[in-house]
Amino acid sequence: MEFKGTYYDGQVALARSVICSINDSSYSGSLMIRELDHQRVMTYWRLPDIVPVPAKKGQLRLGSNGKPAGARLVFKDPETAARLYNALPVLSLHRRRHRGTQARVVGLATLALASLVVAYIFGIPLLAGRIVGLIPAEMETRLGETAVAQLDLALAEQGGLVPCDPDPQSVANRALTRFARTAIAETGSLFDINVQVVANSIPNAFALPGGRAFYFQGLLQKTRSGDELAGVLAHEIGHVVYRDGMQQLVATAGTGLLVGFVLGDVTGLSIAGGIGAALIDTSFSRDAERRADRFALEAAARQAFDPSALGDLLERISSDDAVSQKFALLSTHPLTQERRLILGANQGVQTGAAPAFSEEEWRAISAMCASARPTKSKQKSG
Amino acid sequence: MSNKIDGPERATAGFSGSRWRLASILALGYLLMLFTLGIYRFWQVTTKRRFYWANTEIGGDALEYTGTATQLLIGFLLALVIFLPLYGFFFYLSTQSGETAVTGYIFAAVFLYFLAGYAIYRARRFRLSRTLWRGIRFQLSGSAWSYAFRRFFWSIVTALSAGLAYPFMAADLWRYRYNNTWYGDRRFNFGGSWRTIAVPFYASYAVIAASAIGAFAMLPDPKNGRVTADMFFSNTAAIGLMGLGVVVAVLSYFFLLSRITSAMFSTISAGRATLNVTVSARSLFWQYLAYAILVSMVIIMALGIFGVMTMDEYGRVMKGGDVDLAQLLRISWTNLVFYGLFYLTLLAIFSILSQTIIGLGYWRLVADGAVIENAEDLKSVRASGAESTLVGEGLADALNVGAY
Repeated sequence: MEFKGTYYDGQVALARSVICSINDSSYSGSLMIRELDHQRVMTYWRLPDIVPVPAKKGQLRLGSNGKPAGARLVFKDPETAARLYNALPVLSLHRRRHRGTQARVVGLATLALASLVVAYIFGIPLLAGRIVGLIPAEMETRLGETAVAQLDLALAEQGGLVPCDPDPQSVANRALTRFARTAIAETGSLFDINVQVVANSIPNAFALPGGRAFYFQGLLQKTRSGDELAGVLAHEIGHVVYRDGMQQLVATAGTGLLVGFVLGDVTGLSIAGGIGAALIDTSFSRDAERRADRFALEAAARQAFDPSALGDLLERISSDDAVSQKFALLSTHPLTQERRLILGANQGVQTGAAPAFSEEEWRAISAMCASARPTKSKQKSG
Repeated sequence: MSNKIDGPERATAGFSGSRWRLASILALGYLLMLFTLGIYRFWQVTTKRRFYWANTEIGGDALEYTGTATQLLIGFLLALVIFLPLYGFFFYLSTQSGETAVTGYIFAAVFLYFLAGYAIYRARRFRLSRTLWRGIRFQLSGSAWSYAFRRFFWSIVTALSAGLAYPFMAADLWRYRYNNTWYGDRRFNFGGSWRTIAVPFYASYAVIAASAIGAFAMLPDPKNGRVTADMFFSNTAAIGLMGLGVVVAVLSYFFLLSRITSAMFSTISAGRATLNVTVSARSLFWQYLAYAILVSMVIIMALGIFGVMTMDEYGRVMKGGDVDLAQLLRISWTNLVFYGLFYLTLLAIFSILSQTIIGLGYWRLVADGAVIENAEDLKSVRASGAESTLVGEGLADALNVGAY
C-alpha cells in the first residue's frame, strides 16, 4: 500500500511531496519515505517511534520520537489518512494512551482541588480561630474604627451611626454599660464593649471587631421588653468575645483566593468569584451564630432575662415588608427552627440572678431616641 | 487584491475553521469546567488553539500548535506563587483606613498594569515557540522586562498627551515585538514608524474630537452650573447632531482599526520575503454589528427569564399572611444555586459570542487578507531553538491579558 503525503524534515523549511509505504507492519517495522518525483528513498521512520499529532478533521499528521522535533508527515486527503491510520495500529494505541493520560491528569487535578475545597470548608472554622488569635487586639480595634467610619457613611441615608443619647452618665447609658460589662466579665476577652443606641431607622443591631456595638433605633422601636433587648445585646457581645467579625474577614480573604484559583482569575475581577465566595462564607457564619446564641444563654444565667424573647423579636421583624427585611436583623441573623428551639430551651428557669434591666432602666432606654429625630430617615412608607 | 494563484514567489494565507466548530469546543469546555471546578480550562484553551492554528494555512501548509494543557496548568501554578504575596498585600490593605487603602489600591493597580506588559511578552514567547510551520518553530528573543518598561513608559506619555502620542507608542512596541520575532534562524523586520499610521490615526482623532466638542457646544448654558437631563432632551437638533457624532465616532473606530492592522502588518518582512495584509473596515463593522445585535437579544431574553423566575418567588412570599421562615429560607437557598448557574451560563454565552464572532472573525480577516511575496526566500530557513519555559503564560492567564 502506498500513501501520498507531504514531508517536512524539521531542519529546513521545505515541504516535499512524498510517497510512503510500510516496510513491515510489525513492531520492528518502519515507514519508508520516498520522494514523489524521483522515487528516491529519503528516510525511514521506525513504526514504534511514530506519534499522531493533533490535526484538522480528516487529516493525519505524524511526528517521530527519533527525529527532529518539527519533523512531520502530513496526509491531507481524508481517504489516504484513514487508510494509513488503520494500517498502523500503533497510532490508535498511542491516541488511546494519550487520552487516558489526559483524563487522568484532569481527574487528579480536579480531585486535588476538590479536596482543597473540602478541607477549606471544614478546616476554616478551626484555622480562622487560630489565625485570629495571632492578630493583635490593637489591629482589630483599629479595624473596628475604620468599619465604624465606613458604615456611618454607607448608612447615612437612614441616619448613619449618630448616638441618640450622647450623655454617658444618663440612666439609659449607664444601664447599657453595666449590662455589657457584666456580660463580658470573666470571658477573658481582650476588648472593652461600647454599646450605643444610634438614631438610624433600620431595624438591626450588630457588633464590630474591637468591641463597638450598635443598637439601631429602628430595632428599638420594635423591641417590647428589656428581655428582648438583653437577648440581642448578649448575642452581639458573644460575637465580640469570639472575634467573629475578624474571623469572617480572614475567611473571606481565604475564600476569595480559593475561588480565584478555581476560576483562574486571581485579581478578583470576576463577579462570579464574589458570588461563589459569598456562598461559602454563609456556612461559616451559621456556626458563629449558633455559638453567639449559646453565649446569650449563658449570659442569661448571670443577668436574668428570658432568652426566648430574642426569638419573639426576630419573628416580629420578619413580618415586615420585604424592603425593610433586606436590611433587617433577620437578613444577618436568620431565624431557623433549630435556633428557636435552642433559644426557647431555658425558658422559665429561675437562677436567682439580678435582672438584666429593671423596669425603670428599660423605660429610660426605650425613650432614648424619642428626642433625637433621625435626620434623613426612610420610614416604612418609603 | 489580484487574483494571482500561488506560485513559488507568492504565498497566500487563509483560515478554514468554522464558527460552529469553535462554539462547540467552547461550550463543551465550559460544561466540563463546571464538573472539574474549573480545571478543564487549560484543556479548553489548548483545544481552541489547536483549532485556530490547524485551520490556518500559509502557502498551502497549515500551522501547528505544539503546546499542551499540562504546560498551561503548571504555568498557572507558577504564576500563583507570584500572586499569593500580592493577595496578602490586598488583604492587608482592606484592613487599613480609607486613605492608606486608596493609595495602596492605586499603587497595586499601577503595578498590575506594568506586570501585564511582562506577561503579554512572555505569553507571546510561549505561543510563538510552540508554533510550527513547515516543520520549523518560531521564536521570540528580547527581554520581557524591557518590553514591560517600554509599554509602561509609552502609556504614561500617551495618557499625558491625551492620546496624541499613540502612533509613536504603537510603532515602538510593534517594532520591539516583531524585530525580536524569528522564524527558525530568520529574523523578522518591522519597517514601520509613527508615520505608518499617522494619517488615519490623526484624521480619526480629529473627527472624534470634533464630534465630541460639537456635541458639548450644542448644550445650552448650564443653569447654576449644573447640567440636567432635560437640557439634553429639549433640543432636538442637539440630539440629532450628538447621535450623528456617535455614529461618526463608531465608524471612525472601525476605519482606524482596519487601517492600523493593515498598515502595520504590511511593513513586516523576513529576509527578502515581505508580508502584505489588507483588512477591510466594512467587514470589521459587520462583525461588531452582528455581535452587538446578538448580545442585545441575549440580554433581553435573560432579563425576561430572570423576571419570570423572581416574580414567581416573590409572589409565593407575598401570598398568604403567615410566612413560614424555614420555608422562606429553603426557597432562597435552592434559588441561589439556580441563580448562580444561570449567571454562569450567561457568562459562557457572552464569551462564546464574543470569541466566535469578534475573535474568530478578526483572525479570519487577517489570515484571508495576508499575502507573502518572495516566499521562495523562506525555503532556506533552518530550525533553531526550542520551546520556551512555562512561567509567562500562567501569569498572562492569571492577569487575564492573554489573547487567543
